[in-house]
Amino acid sequence: MTGQFNFHEIMGSGVALFDYDNDGDLDVFLVQGAGESKLFRNDVDPIKGRQLSFADVTTQSGIRTTGYGMGVATGDFDNDGCVDLYLTAVGRNQLYRNNCDGTFTDVTDRSGTGGEGWSVSASAIDYDHDGWLDLFVGHYVSYDPAKNTACFSLSGRRDYCSPNAYRPQQNRIYHNNHDGTFTDATVAAGLAGDFGPTLGVVADDVDGDGWPDLYVANDGRENQLWINLRNGAFRNAALLSGTAVTADAKAAGSMGVDAADLDGDGADDLLVTTLTGEGTSLFVRRGAAVFDDVSGRSGMRGASLAATGFGVHSIDVDNDGRLDVISINGAVRAIDALVARGDRFPFRQPRQLLHNAGSGRFEDMSGRAGASFELPEVGRGAAFGDIDNDGDTDVVVANNNGPVRLFINQIGNRKHWVGLRVAPGARVEAVRPMSPILVRRAATDGSYASASDPRVLVGLGDDGTPPAIRVRWPDGRVEQWSSVAVDCYTTLEEGTGR
Amino acid sequence: MSVGRAAAVLVATLAFGCARGPSPQTALLRPVVMPDLSLAAESVREQARVRAQALTQAIAAAQTAPSARAAAFGELGKLLLAAEYGEAAETCFADAELLEPGDMRWPYFLGQVYRKTAQPAKAEAAFARALLRHPGHVATLYWLGETRLDQGHLDAAASAFTAALTIAPGSASILAGLGRVDLARSDFASAVTHFEGALAADPGAAFVHYPLAMAYRGLGEGAKAEAELRRPRAIAPGPPDPLMQEVASLLDSAMAYQQRGIDALRRNDGQAAAVFFRRAGELDPSSASVHHRLGTALFLTGDAAGAVTEFEAALRLEPRLARAHYSLGVVLASRRQNAEAIEHFTAALRLEPDYLEARLALADVLRSLGRARDAMPHYQQILMRDPAAAGAELGYAMTLVIVGRRAEARARFAAGARRHPERPEFADALRRLSTGLDAP
Repeated sequence: MTGQFNFHEIMGSGVALFDYDNDGDLDVFLVQGAGESKLFRNDVDPIKGRQLSFADVTTQSGIRTTGYGMGVATGDFDNDGCVDLYLTAVGRNQLYRNNCDGTFTDVTDRSGTGGEGWSVSASAIDYDHDGWLDLFVGHYVSYDPAKNTACFSLSGRRDYCSPNAYRPQQNRIYHNNHDGTFTDATVAAGLAGDFGPTLGVVADDVDGDGWPDLYVANDGRENQLWINLRNGAFRNAALLSGTAVTADAKAAGSMGVDAADLDGDGADDLLVTTLTGEGTSLFVRRGAAVFDDVSGRSGMRGASLAATGFGVHSIDVDNDGRLDVISINGAVRAIDALVARGDRFPFRQPRQLLHNAGSGRFEDMSGRAGASFELPEVGRGAAFGDIDNDGDTDVVVANNNGPVRLFINQIGNRKHWVGLRVAPGARVEAVRPMSPILVRRAATDGSYASASDPRVLVGLGDDGTPPAIRVRWPDGRVEQWSSVAVDCYTTLEEGTGR
Repeated sequence: MSVGRAAAVLVATLAFGCARGPSPQTALLRPVVMPDLSLAAESVREQARVRAQALTQAIAAAQTAPSARAAAFGELGKLLLAAEYGEAAETCFADAELLEPGDMRWPYFLGQVYRKTAQPAKAEAAFARALLRHPGHVATLYWLGETRLDQGHLDAAASAFTAALTIAPGSASILAGLGRVDLARSDFASAVTHFEGALAADPGAAFVHYPLAMAYRGLGEGAKAEAELRRPRAIAPGPPDPLMQEVASLLDSAMAYQQRGIDALRRNDGQAAAVFFRRAGELDPSSASVHHRLGTALFLTGDAAGAVTEFEAALRLEPRLARAHYSLGVVLASRRQNAEAIEHFTAALRLEPDYLEARLALADVLRSLGRARDAMPHYQQILMRDPAAAGAELGYAMTLVIVGRRAEARARFAAGARRHPERPEFADALRRLSTGLDAP
């Protein structure tokens, strides 16, 4: 942070959890703004008491970031079994191919995915069902760091700008040509003319047709719900779907997003973090691309009004079978009370854990998540995954102008769970007698500028009965495994079930 | 002594320095810790200084009545609320309420502080206290309903809105509030009744269209929902509220006047916007953005010459402000000063090559000058970025007519008419072309 109120500096950056060396644990990629982004290898030893340790392997990995780093997306773009990295930036983005030997090669030029501008969140999505991951890249605003606009608070104090000071930038979708190159398919996909300042994106099948759609969170403009028309094109159905604006018609300052079955009805709902005073939006799916805004009555809005939320994810913190919500917060404009106390970086806000109490209500349980969890910081990106492979979801938080935080979940694995390695984009149903079916999606996108654990972790509560697992693969095929072991991870491959 | 320090010290004097000892109320007064205003605009610092001094004097004078002291706290609190210094404003209003418990304004303003600082439970309690002193205060009832809605307390929200409606039966904001409670309850039929009632009360209430669409959708009336979604959208402003209106017009800073100007532009009130932006310019003559906005407001009121002056002033201050080049180009083009307009559109594009509005404006001017071959690549460039850009599609087709590619033009007009039924120009151009009229 230069202290010069440069707009890009307040937006912060993201983090990725991915197994780059295929050794069965999650490694960490930390995006840095002005500095060099870092890759840390996870050397967790499951034998010796799950003692976590990480090694900085950036140099030997061959990753050399350029531009001002913003976000990261992960996916195996060349189908070689190793996860590649896509890095967004203020400036040119970078695609790094994983060489499957611990090193990466910058294939940006050859791939054609450099896309100048300012991009933040991206999603690896096989939108045409050809078996190859394509790439959606959310762009923010037309901005030149050398021409930063001076913005002020109402009292005349210098402050960071809002996106309204700039024109939004067109989002991009790159089609994978199966040969290491991509084609910019933005126009053909119908995304060219309708865009806002995008900060968050999540790919999910919101109309139940088996094809991935895109939900795009825009900062201060209407969000978009791009319905996949199954012909390479999309149609924005956000308004009629009820997910474009808040219940009172406000185009909120939307930042982080997630799609998950928060009400346990088998259909994914949408979650959007926003600015202080707006409250996190919870859109519950009621039909094919039809959502109701239940932010108020679920308690989500009231609990989150005081926060500017960025990274967000639905995880079953206590493995009770119900998805809870973690929101990583931090203001974008100076908080007057902190200024008054002489805080030199007056944007700190506490993180939040909103516990799913069932019956559609969420309760703020941040106070029971640990003192360090509640420590106010300027949170931005966050990635979620089982870093210590102990059967519950941990969190890595990227703070703006502050240290990264790793929160290890200490309560989830007190309950039973089933862990699944499936292809990203797959939908998983855990079926047990006398219990509701638990539906989860395998995905890495969502949150803010970050990429999370692609594995599926289903909390089973006190019931240790091995569940039947039904998987709907990204190509639409459905398979079932009659009994999958609990309290461990199992790899399910397409074509091996019934 | 700083403004903040003076206020804090003198509140302490009131509490503990009186000869007969402090009254129970004054003993509870909290010192007002003023925010650091050193980086605020000079005009705001002066406003704060004057109000803090008045508070100091009110506290110091032994004969000052509690209501006058409360008023002094309240005046400072209003300024701090307007300047978004919630914490200090909270103390001022809390002290005012303590000194004058019978005045509904202090808990009301306190409620607004809590609302703006995202503390809905505290806001609800403060509004409830205000209502004890003034049970029929419509704005308080309305905001009480809103804070309850924020917290998901639907029955309580409905009760507040209903009470407000009995006093102000024709209020579109209140009817819409009730409608939103219905929506949250998934009672779509009742929501439609309330939203339609709001529109009947105020046909211009743009904030009703979106939630009404959601209510229609809930009832399965898709066509009606889509019709509502095609209408303008806005956020409910709430019922008339002189107390908060005073706060909104209080702050004497360039940004505050700019914000008022922007609000006026949203109301299509160009005259008022121009007044606000002019005052903003007086307070901050170095702001290119203020000149640009003033120019926009003047152009909307028909004062093209004034607009040109302001856009030029913006560019003198910030020559790389692409928006100002574009806006100046638009005004100049409207006055048929095409060469200068082209110059400014080109400058805007040099600064921001993806500025599609500027590119379209440039292409349109070139076409209007008969420079079809110069215009064509610009239209093509826009259509490559966004094939659904109606303006570029229309302009491109018209350019095709000029260069004699009439069959292509006809196909483009026909496609445009299909794709953009809301733009009758396509069908009109097609008709003219079909009947042999050259220039659509």
